[in-house]
Amino acid sequence: MVYKRNEITREKEKIMGIRTRLAVLACKTSNAVLRRMGRGGTNLPGKIALKIDKDILKELSRGVKVTVVTGTNGKTTTSRMIEQAFEEAGYKYFANKSGANLLTGIITVFAQHCSLSGKCSYTHALIECDEAAFRKTSEMLPVECLVVNNIFRDQLDRYGEITHTLNAIREGITHVPDATLCLNADCSLTASLADNVPNKVVWFGVDVPIYKETAFELSDAVYCIHCKTEYEYDYRTYSHLGGFRCPKCGYHRQTPQVGVTQVVRTGADSSDIVLNAFGHSHDVHINLPGGYNIYNAAACVAAAEIVGIDEDTAVDALSRFECGFGRAEQFELGKSKARMMLVKNPAGYNQVINQISNDEEECKIAFLLNDRYADGTDISWIWDVDFEALARQSARFTRILVSGVRADDMALRLKYAGFDTGRIEVIRDYENLLEAIGADETPTFIMPTYTAMFDLRGEISKHTDIKAFYE
Amino acid sequence: MELNICHLYPDILNLYGDRGNIITMKRRMEDRGIKVNVEGCSIGETLDANRYDIFFIGGGQDFEQEVLLKDLGTGKAAEIRAAVEDEKTFLAICGGYQMLGQYYKTWDGVQLDFTGAINIHTVGSKERMIGNYMFETLPESSGAVVVGFENHSGKTYLGEGVSPLGKMLKGYGNNGEDQTEGARYKNVFGTYSHGSLLPKNPVLCDFILQTALERKYGQIEPLAPLEDTLELNANEYMKQRLSK
Repeated sequence: MVYKRNEITREKEKIMGIRTRLAVLACKTSNAVLRRMGRGGTNLPGKIALKIDKDILKELSRGVKVTVVTGTNGKTTTSRMIEQAFEEAGYKYFANKSGANLLTGIITVFAQHCSLSGKCSYTHALIECDEAAFRKTSEMLPVECLVVNNIFRDQLDRYGEITHTLNAIREGITHVPDATLCLNADCSLTASLADNVPNKVVWFGVDVPIYKETAFELSDAVYCIHCKTEYEYDYRTYSHLGGFRCPKCGYHRQTPQVGVTQVVRTGADSSDIVLNAFGHSHDVHINLPGGYNIYNAAACVAAAEIVGIDEDTAVDALSRFECGFGRAEQFELGKSKARMMLVKNPAGYNQVINQISNDEEECKIAFLLNDRYADGTDISWIWDVDFEALARQSARFTRILVSGVRADDMALRLKYAGFDTGRIEVIRDYENLLEAIGADETPTFIMPTYTAMFDLRGEISKHTDIKAFYE
Repeated sequence: MELNICHLYPDILNLYGDRGNIITMKRRMEDRGIKVNVEGCSIGETLDANRYDIFFIGGGQDFEQEVLLKDLGTGKAAEIRAAVEDEKTFLAICGGYQMLGQYYKTWDGVQLDFTGAINIHTVGSKERMIGNYMFETLPESSGAVVVGFENHSGKTYLGEGVSPLGKMLKGYGNNGEDQTEGARYKNVFGTYSHGSLLPKNPVLCDFILQTALERKYGQIEPLAPLEDTLELNANEYMKQRLSK
């Protein structure tokens, strides 16, 4: 049979269409089955779809305006903030909510929001993406806005060096020349992503110090990324973030279009700041505590502008959005109000410590350390966290609880930080741990690593009604 | 008694919680009433090795290696070599351990000269050796079973005059081939063990401290035992897990 050229194309499209349909069907079905089994099917369905059609994500995301959030710390919270802005702007959007932030998880969430023919009826997608996974994912997504929060040392057993993470993102950016980059001006590593790329850039940052006192921290970027001369700083906010400049080659912080000009108040539940966005000053109430969330808020306002949401809507969203999964999330556990603060790496942990130290109330503290793959199998990083800052306030802590797979190492770390060993309680069993937390009315700060948070939530859900993570 | 510790390149060689070793040495001396002073010495600063009893060098990233090699060439390498021969105590981990050797050859054949303080050399490989691991130190290095975490792509080989720190029980060690881990030369202790190494390996920690004290004060009484329940719990937990 002899085909004419357009017939060949049509035939080809038909076959491709069938393949896409098959992939979407397999994805949706396996997802439904997994859910019925009570399991959060976030990666497997996407994996199956990818096997059937390697271009599946390209097909499913066609015509959708995608905002991607990546970087070491704050991806989830920033995504939730931007999501609130999308919501209030009335955008027809969907988001990957459950930390399904690898390629396969992202495919699953796109398939869920497409018809069986692979047509997506949403105009916008908000995607949190793992730093290393962005390299590949970016090949297939029509990215309108790429937010990079920061780069810190994180799970080096998996990513290798910090510069590897940075280079993965850098390579990913070459796949999306039309995307507007929304970058942290205060992070010398992140800021270097703007070098030699055709992309438009919107900078966000914090123009002033955030805390009076901060945890002792190692800097992840002492030397200039271009010429390896030691940076000088006009001020620092935390870790290597702040007003950096290289005295030799002149590489320096860019003045952000969205900058925090004043930190009015940092409280236990929220912060108030003055934000200058594109020349307009806004008083902003952020419905989450912590200096790192001030950065996330600035990122949100910058990203909102890029996707066409006005500043006022974005600023309002910040005062209304709800805490993300394990990100200062609140629970009533027995008699105690508890806040769960996910900890993953020294920079994030030190921020949580800054936040706890900023307060003066009596409280219980619980440290949960696991060393499974998602936590990072190397727990050496706990020695880079400034637990000494908490030990100096140990009189304030009515109970010091330790749990998780590596509870012994955690207890040892606390001892060398200066906590009284007689007061460190190692409670391995989560049921007993929850009982200890709920036994009295003193509030509790729980600091779990990733899988410890899942385990603990599982235990909590036996007693109270909390949503499973895939809902 | 008093010990002076020099932390070499604390702002660069600090990748895997290695400063836990400094915290631990300091604490275990102070708990016995022995004074400890810790000073850092980094890029551009002159190293006067005579002032110190213990030198600590941690692991770092490749990114900074260039800066480091240049700085070592300005006189620090010679100071380090002399201090090693002078039987000063060194604890060097991972990148710091490699740095005490003769050279590092990348997997594609480029040779970088290191300090040459001890007769070892390292060859890069494409695969990383990563994971929890365990080794038994030789009797002349305390005989303790050490648990830790290794993360390196370089394979280290010991030359003449250098003995291994220990024999592998689980994991890769120096090169994944000859069952050796770490190096011992005079009072130099080199190892791939992060973890941090010393907190949950208190026997090795005290052995290193005793070595430094005896170099300075001659034969002394063994260090008084400390309350080490948490230390030994953490050691035992990993020992059990890795023995399965």
